[in-house]
Amino acid sequence: MKLFYDFAYDSLNKVQEELCGDKVEVVEAEDSTIIVLADGLGSGVKANILATMTTKIAGTMLKEGASIDETIETIAKTLPVCNLRKLAYSTFVIMKISKTGKVNLIEYDNPPAFVIRNNRAYTLEKTEKEIHGKKILESVLQLEEGDMITLVSDGVVHAGVGGILNLGWQWSNVEEYLLRHSVMEKTAKGIANKLMDTCAYLYEQKPGDDTTVVTLKARKPETLDIFTGPPESQERDTELVHAFMKGRGKKVVCGGTAANIISRVLDRKIEVLMDTGTESIPPRAKIAGIDFVTEGVITLSHVVDNIIDYRTKRLLKAPGKNIEQINGADLLTRVFLEDSTHLNFYVGKAINPAHQNPDLPRDLSIKLRVIDQLKLQLEALGKIVNVHYY
Amino acid sequence: MKTINVCVGSACHLKGAYQVVNRLQRIVEEKKLEDFFVIKAAFCLGHCTNAVSVRVDEGAVFSLTENGVEDFLKEQLRN
Repeated sequence: MKLFYDFAYDSLNKVQEELCGDKVEVVEAEDSTIIVLADGLGSGVKANILATMTTKIAGTMLKEGASIDETIETIAKTLPVCNLRKLAYSTFVIMKISKTGKVNLIEYDNPPAFVIRNNRAYTLEKTEKEIHGKKILESVLQLEEGDMITLVSDGVVHAGVGGILNLGWQWSNVEEYLLRHSVMEKTAKGIANKLMDTCAYLYEQKPGDDTTVVTLKARKPETLDIFTGPPESQERDTELVHAFMKGRGKKVVCGGTAANIISRVLDRKIEVLMDTGTESIPPRAKIAGIDFVTEGVITLSHVVDNIIDYRTKRLLKAPGKNIEQINGADLLTRVFLEDSTHLNFYVGKAINPAHQNPDLPRDLSIKLRVIDQLKLQLEALGKIVNVHYY
Repeated sequence: MKTINVCVGSACHLKGAYQVVNRLQRIVEEKKLEDFFVIKAAFCLGHCTNAVSVRVDEGAVFSLTENGVEDFLKEQLRN
């Protein structure tokens, strides 16, 4: 089966710095994705410029098919020399993931990449090469399901130095941490968020260095089919339901009318799960053969807020003790973030007259906009999103 | 025994369906009316422009507000 390459990255800025001296650049080439992480010398503006130039040059040149030698030569000749240190320097890692699952790693002076296979640490065979006086380590890996590669800047390995910990946590501690969490976290974003959260904690929320993580996880693709909103013309109800049911993914129905349409066309009854309702979020329901049924626009706007929250504040709320009683928005947030790589939305464009009432909160009048926002947020997390309108 | 279906669709939710359901459940419990009424939620009853939609059995759809709940139940007990 074809694997899905789930990747995510995140940074903490050194305390009191507005700019990060680490930089991650992701470039989509024809048959591969190129991810470059660079850590510029120093911090603040200077480091940011060095790192940005490094990632931009590497990304652009490799995308256009330049060789590693040419690329590194260009970087070496282009970077401005620091007045203070008389050096032009930025460490970097280049990770090229081809569509066939082959990964090429090129590392220069960064903490070694962490590789996990079958829940165990995996040692890459690296060949050393000298290009323009720089010692470069090259390695290759053919991705298998569950493989995880994590790249970090030295801010991760040094987290806590001189503060909570005398020596910081060492490379091997970070590896152990990643081993433990790679089992619990299904997504690359989950791992990246956890690692950043822990680093921030070790730094007592005052990072002594720019701190960056890039995680790649080879996952089995998971598809989700989501039906929301009745079609503009009622005659298309049946067509929509059949298209929706034919999709291979898990089924999600969002919206009272959408649920009624499913119930009518498929002749299955709806059972509302009263206990799952809260003051702000209407209850979920159950329909045989549909994995999740929720109310529509209110629930989905909460999901958008939850995802934005997750992207900025990093940690996902625990689901609470009783998963049976989880409300629709928290449930869908979890399913969208964790249990899906591909999402297909089937969106009916009919306008509900009640939703046009200007007295109602803005929530209701903007169903289609909520879908747009949701698509943007999910795509920013690397998901493949398709929207079909009816 | 009457089944009271309260719409919990988007529009009714924003108009207070959650409160109506709670009030109905509370009154039924307080007045020991469990043998007369079952309170259920329903997805969109198709009367989105009115207040919270409530249907008794398979009959007509009423529009309820939280404060109208008590009178509504009295009315239903009389019929």
